[in-house]
Amino acid sequence: MAEELLRKTYEVHGRDFDKAGENATEIKRVLKELNIDSMLVHRAVVIAFEAEMNVVMYATKGTITFILTEEAIELEIADEGPGIEDLEMALTEGFSTATNEMREMGFGFGMGLPNIRKNADDFDLTSEVGAGTTVSTKVRLESNA
Amino acid sequence: MPERTHGFRIDEQKCRGHLACMRACPTQAIRVTDGKARLLPQFCVDCGICLTACPSGAIGAITQSFAELDKFKYKVAVPSPVLFAQFPVGITPARTILGLKALGFDAVWDFTVELALVNRAILDYVEEWNGPFPVLSISCPVIVRLIQVMYPAMIDQLLRLQPPRELAGRELKRKYSEELGLHPDEIAAVYITPCQAKTISILKPAEGVKSNLDGAIGISDVYNDIVALTKDLEKKETVAPPKGPACSVEMLRWAISKGQGNTLRRHRYMSVTGLSNVIQVFEDIYKGKLRNIEYLECDACWGGCIGGNLTVDNIYVTLSKIHRLWSDLPNTDPRVDAEVERRYPIEDFSLKGEVMPRATGKNTGGLKERVKRIKTEEAVNKMLPGLDCGLCGAPTCKTFANDVAAGHASQDDCVMLSGKRLKALQAMYHRKGEESTPEGGG
Repeated sequence: MAEELLRKTYEVHGRDFDKAGENATEIKRVLKELNIDSMLVHRAVVIAFEAEMNVVMYATKGTITFILTEEAIELEIADEGPGIEDLEMALTEGFSTATNEMREMGFGFGMGLPNIRKNADDFDLTSEVGAGTTVSTKVRLESNA
Repeated sequence: MPERTHGFRIDEQKCRGHLACMRACPTQAIRVTDGKARLLPQFCVDCGICLTACPSGAIGAITQSFAELDKFKYKVAVPSPVLFAQFPVGITPARTILGLKALGFDAVWDFTVELALVNRAILDYVEEWNGPFPVLSISCPVIVRLIQVMYPAMIDQLLRLQPPRELAGRELKRKYSEELGLHPDEIAAVYITPCQAKTISILKPAEGVKSNLDGAIGISDVYNDIVALTKDLEKKETVAPPKGPACSVEMLRWAISKGQGNTLRRHRYMSVTGLSNVIQVFEDIYKGKLRNIEYLECDACWGGCIGGNLTVDNIYVTLSKIHRLWSDLPNTDPRVDAEVERRYPIEDFSLKGEVMPRATGKNTGGLKERVKRIKTEEAVNKMLPGLDCGLCGAPTCKTFANDVAAGHASQDDCVMLSGKRLKALQAMYHRKGEESTPEGGG
């Protein structure tokens, strides 16, 4: 088990569109300040941003837990929301349950979860319908070296 | 020889430790220790805001003097278009040129053609660019330095084309060395500049190569002489101003913000002026916004180069004068168009050298060490009052926490955390028998 160096938890509120993305920006700032390779920062920020948007669009509330270990940037996004009925469908590019309103704002193209999976070295998705969804990811610090 | 990595210097004798510069600095590059302002050169972007903020007149811009140009055989002035819009009504651009010659310049270079060439090159560049967007203008040296220091991730977005003044330097040396049989090194190309940032961009270019210009003299340094000299010339009536326009619509357009908007009118273009506004917009870009904008023109000074700190008139008067000059000028000049057609295919406009991120010393040590620094910073920050009073000598509590974590300051420098600090400050700032400053001190 790699030593945990840093842990931060951020709260995300559903429907909070004007603040959406701020936590991802904060995580980006911390990673940049730590001089993490910019490609790795980019991947972690895409994960944080897409996951944060999912919480904002679909859930009531949620948390982003950001853990830095000696080996990886870990992001765990857990929400209280409707849950996902068909995990496989949700991971298909282009599949989306977004409303027209969300699409008008430029979201809901069915790229969120697939994008998260693409950018993560480790990816785990669990969900319970009516309760919530948890996405756990790791971006390994060595993976771009 | 003054230090020439930055466009100004702090006179320690005159500095009274007012903290005004430290508070005004947009990149937190000034600390006040032992009652004196000190520059952290690695964070300075040469914006010159400290110059204006200092109530003691202790910060001066570095420009060059005529004496330094004596070693050249032929001296050519390259006036920023802003110069022409500084004078009272009687002093037309044509007379301004005469004034520059009376000052000792052998020739004055009008860079309308270079401007038109760059405008066309920008258009082609933006149309061929595949991203990331927006492309960021490179003409204002402060913006380039701001990106090097605070937004290194955006360096790839900087336009990789030389600004018109640099192309002017190259072309005038080519032309005059050919015509006069001189070596290009014997010809001085001297920019008449609206700000000290352009001086430093000539003496020490951000892209790490040699500038095509040999130096710069501030508009405010030539203003009085030109006014006086043109009056004399008028009396003598020996020299008539040259016929034909001495300035152009392109030149005047360049002097104000949105100058490149005309070229890019079919593209998604945005213009921002004022360093605090630019920082706001850069923060948005950093957050991933504004990807739809193709070209972003940024000027550190309000209103563009007409707001430079070596100008004489305020920007509104200057704008009014530009408007007036503009109305007297033809919209296009066939000779300029012909020159552009001739030169565009045969010249290379690309930026020589690469703009690199500046080492700020923040990124030293291993990952563990850096995490420890961040944690210390957060812990110190929690103890601080958040008043940003500046009495510790750092502009904000957060900057101070950062300084402490990096080992550059002690937490005992905060008056809220240490009574000793307050006593020390009382002793330092108690001016026995001295008159208080007209500004009231503080």
